[in-house]
Amino acid sequence: MITRARSSPKTPDIGRATDPDIMKRLAAGETGALGELYDRYHESLRRFVTLATSDAEDVDDLVQATFLAAGKSAGRYDGRASCRPWLVGIAAQLVRRRRQSFKRWLAVLSSFSATRSTLVDPRSALQAGRDVGWALAQISEAKRVTYLMAEVEGLSCEEIAAALGVPIGTVWTRCHAARRELRRAMEEGSES
Amino acid sequence: MTRATCPRLFEVEAARDGRLAGAELASFARHMSACPVCSREAQALDAPAAALRAGSAGKRDELYVRRERTRLLASFDQGLLVPQPAWGRRLLWLAPLAALAAGLLMLRRTPAPQPARSSSAVVRASSAALWSETTRDQLEQVRLERGSLWLHVDHASRPSRRLLVLLPDGELEDTGTTFSVSTEDGRTTRVEVQDGSVVLRVRGRLPVALGAGETWNPGPTPAASAAASPTPSAETPPTLRAAPPSPTAPAASSAEPLAPSVLPNPSDDFRAAMARLDSGDSLGAAAAFATFLAKHPRDPRAEDAAYLRVIALHRSGDDSSMKQAAQTYLSRYPTGFRRAEVAALSR
Repeated sequence: MITRARSSPKTPDIGRATDPDIMKRLAAGETGALGELYDRYHESLRRFVTLATSDAEDVDDLVQATFLAAGKSAGRYDGRASCRPWLVGIAAQLVRRRRQSFKRWLAVLSSFSATRSTLVDPRSALQAGRDVGWALAQISEAKRVTYLMAEVEGLSCEEIAAALGVPIGTVWTRCHAARRELRRAMEEGSES
Repeated sequence: MTRATCPRLFEVEAARDGRLAGAELASFARHMSACPVCSREAQALDAPAAALRAGSAGKRDELYVRRERTRLLASFDQGLLVPQPAWGRRLLWLAPLAALAAGLLMLRRTPAPQPARSSSAVVRASSAALWSETTRDQLEQVRLERGSLWLHVDHASRPSRRLLVLLPDGELEDTGTTFSVSTEDGRTTRVEVQDGSVVLRVRGRLPVALGAGETWNPGPTPAASAAASPTPSAETPPTLRAAPPSPTAPAASSAEPLAPSVLPNPSDDFRAAMARLDSGDSLGAAAAFATFLAKHPRDPRAEDAAYLRVIALHRSGDDSSMKQAAQTYLSRYPTGFRRAEVAALSR
């Protein structure tokens, strides 16, 4: 209970090509290798992107972009036994770029509008209190992504810091704040 | 009533985040096994993550996943074929220099200088050939800008090494031993396989596998074929000629050419099969694709038809026939584009 649980692939590794082997073939331009990588990790990546973006419309595109980026940079793969942390790191970077791009658009849109609209969640507070996904959507995306990488995907704080390009102290701070805000959102949901 | 607390409560998070190590971690592990407050905190931190892992976020049905997979592989394959824009710009800047160099070469009438090579492939270039070669790990890339090359690859000495010939309008992957390729005006004009086999991927056309003794020519241009045919097709099938059947070549590339007047229209047959598949008549579609394969084994869409037949049978629920069709696909197209997908279905 001291350390975090790590997600693991459903099928056993016996008789399967290793991730470094697949990445070598992918670096050599073998399309089939990308298919194998997709079969292996599409489920966990889709879950990560879905939760990180609060089930946005472009989840599929982000998952596709993650695998395509992996295909392009396969030659730089560091050879670690599992490439799931690496893929999650790519996905996290794409989610961050998407957010930055959205911010620019929102800034443009807000310049056209004098009033700020208030978003109201249509679901009942009782349901929201039980729904971890809803509570997760209440915290900022940077904290949410860090929390998901750490707690759901089981990446170490060092891996997260390297993937996001931030100091490890920032990862610890974000994780702590995300846990606190998540807990508060769930408690408020269940009390009201 | 106040909530029970523990002075070491903060260490629960510190341990989770890897901020404790060695003796500190061991000490806290001992403490937590005896402290109900810290144990409860650890469980409280675990609970949301466990719920998120167990939730259905992002789950999709099998067909959806397969469609996304196919989309991904098609995008990746397309990315391999699309030339780098920077290369085009570089060529534009180098055009005057290239013209000068070409003029000097023509005046001297000497063969084009060949780059220093370190590969196991034997390359003989025509005097007008402009080509280069790079090797990275197990991948050799020969870039042919114009002219003709004859290549022989000794796979016996380096079985894991792959050779890719980058053409102005596509690429050629060597899976055999000896072949030649020609280009002109930015187009591939001829591929001839003497021994083994190659896979040719030209932009705007479906990939073609060529066996020993087979020759590929681009055939008529789309405009010409559109004028000649009352039902123009999106793809122009390549012409295969002078192809004595190879004992190792797949059946799809060994049929004898028919006279144009007696040739059935493959596009009509393919469209009819697709229409059945789209309308939900899965069994009818499977039969139609089987007919297409029997009538047009050398059509460039034969691999697509074989794959779609598997999908149609899968949708119909006839698992035994589907697996049989999948095995047929795998044996006929061992390096096929949908190999991994069909292999998964065949299991």
